[in-house]
Amino acid sequence: MIRQRKLLLSALGVLLIVLLASFQYSRRIREYRSEHFLMDTLISIKAYGRDQEVLKKSVSEAFAEMRRIAELADGFPQPGTAAYGSSDVCRINAQAGKQPVMVDNDIMAMLLLAKKYHHVSQGAFDVTIGPLMELWGFGGEAPHVPDTHSIQAALARVGSDKLVLNEHERTAFLTKAGMKLDLGAMAKGYAAEKALQILQKHGIEKALIDAGGNVRTLGRNVHDASWKIGIKNPRKSDAIAAVLQLENASAVTSGDYYRYFEAGGKRYNHILDPRSGYPAVRTMSATVVTKDAGLADILSTVFFVLPPEKALETAGKMTGVEIFLVTADGRILHSSSLKGRIEVLPGDSYRYDQGR
Amino acid sequence: MTRADKFLLAGLVVFSLLSMAALYSRFSGGADKLQSSKAVISVQGKILRTIDLTPGTRSSFTLQGRLGPSIVEKKGNRIRMMEAPCAGKVCVNQKWIENPGETIVCIPGEIMIRIEGTAPLDAVTR
Amino acid sequence: MVFMGLLVALATALHVVEGMLSIPLPVPGVKLGLANVVTLLAIYLYGFRDGLTVALMRVLLGSLISGMFLSPGFLLGLTGAVVSTMIMALLLKHTTCFSMIGISMAGAAAHNMGQLLAACLILQNSALIYYLPVLLLTGIPTGIFTGVLLNSLISQSEKSGMLNDLVRTSP
Repeated sequence: MIRQRKLLLSALGVLLIVLLASFQYSRRIREYRSEHFLMDTLISIKAYGRDQEVLKKSVSEAFAEMRRIAELADGFPQPGTAAYGSSDVCRINAQAGKQPVMVDNDIMAMLLLAKKYHHVSQGAFDVTIGPLMELWGFGGEAPHVPDTHSIQAALARVGSDKLVLNEHERTAFLTKAGMKLDLGAMAKGYAAEKALQILQKHGIEKALIDAGGNVRTLGRNVHDASWKIGIKNPRKSDAIAAVLQLENASAVTSGDYYRYFEAGGKRYNHILDPRSGYPAVRTMSATVVTKDAGLADILSTVFFVLPPEKALETAGKMTGVEIFLVTADGRILHSSSLKGRIEVLPGDSYRYDQGR
Repeated sequence: MTRADKFLLAGLVVFSLLSMAALYSRFSGGADKLQSSKAVISVQGKILRTIDLTPGTRSSFTLQGRLGPSIVEKKGNRIRMMEAPCAGKVCVNQKWIENPGETIVCIPGEIMIRIEGTAPLDAVTR
Repeated sequence: MVFMGLLVALATALHVVEGMLSIPLPVPGVKLGLANVVTLLAIYLYGFRDGLTVALMRVLLGSLISGMFLSPGFLLGLTGAVVSTMIMALLLKHTTCFSMIGISMAGAAAHNMGQLLAACLILQNSALIYYLPVLLLTGIPTGIFTGVLLNSLISQSEKSGMLNDLVRTSP
């Protein structure tokens, strides 16, 4: 009887150890990843934590939030469809020149940001660029170079000064008929930042959101080191121009290679200078590193459009904003504070002077 | 507990440890280089199939993307999108991928091909 | 017959209670196997056929009570119960070298292996085989536990002479 009791106790002990071990195993940090096609791109979220269920729930909530913003900001659905009805941007565009439109808080926040950076960038960033984008046909199948006359006509319908926001009543109004909002240069970053806030709300401390190359990191990576984020080589599709080390920050790039066409031996990319009505050509790619992904998205367009030296100078005046540029004449410029956190790789289309 | 009980106990322990070693050793560092890699193909966010990229084999198959049938070809440890109905043909022009973490994405067709494993980079901004 | 009914009822009750108590573990299917004590007792007292009856009835009734009838979990439990009953009956009848502890250990191992095999087939997922070592290892102490429990049950009832009454009233 005593021997049996001993046996029983040791059996229970072993059982306890095995269960504890498997429990510990289940408590280790796991990755949960999910991908969805949204906002005309592939969005991937990787979240890390101990509880798979929490990860799953928060990632799907984060996607729901991104989808909501995508629907509000979508400028291209067919009139009459359900997507058209749920898009604030479409409603504002439809009422251009007629009356103010009551909008969602997030659209209001985005438009306020847009106006702010229109001012800061002295017009290099403009969400009312819709008529020009439409004229060039970058949203559709057959982009082409428009004639000067129609560009001048479209330019008359572009200008954030003609976008009137009433924060108190939460309304937005395009004062001139034929004006069109296009949030393409900021919606992905803004949505990524909102998604990240949802993950944080659920207590997640490590995550990476990649909204079609708009990258937002939370915390440090799974090896408890900085996230290694590549910056695409603007002239070689499978190559990397540099590797950035990020912690709890985002990196967003605007490049001339993402959407472009060639005509008469010239390259026309989809990032238009809202002041001239023509594509910005002095930069191949502009990458912005800053904490907020929404801001990074806006600034990447700003610094792509501004002349490189002016971009570097402007970024230098902002706190917590760093940039990396590959200029059209093949130079690499970056904020000096990035030194030590960036490794530039050799490439054929640019050169890098270490001394800078 | 009889002698036979103890033998049984020892036998079970040894057997579980052996099976543990046999099953889990594949995950440890050295051995997995010998293992062939896998490509995961998903359409509209759902995993459609997983393909072993075994060296020396070759195959191709058709899958239904959002825009219609696309043809994926696998050759040895590489995989590519051979034909796709999309306008841009970004996925087809990307040609072969073979390294862990590499992806081919067809945005209009909502198709993603990803080679399993961890990439040296966490993400790429573009 | 009456005692068989009692055994089935007892096994079912243990089965259901254990299902309720199941600790949220990463590895599904780790259980103490208390209901197995009753199965083994039935085999010991009345033989394989009645042991199987008890096992089958408790899986059936247990699943009806918990609303899991014909679910994958039910099919897994069924396979496990049948396989382990067969192994335990075989060892009890044709060998003399094993004690109740050994037999119960073998039963637990057989139960887990059968269940896992069924899971692989039903879910069409061979990756489940990775659970095998964990299930086998947990099966050893739980097998010992139920064996010891049964040993003391038998020795207690032998002392009181109840066991003889039970065997005499066999169906």
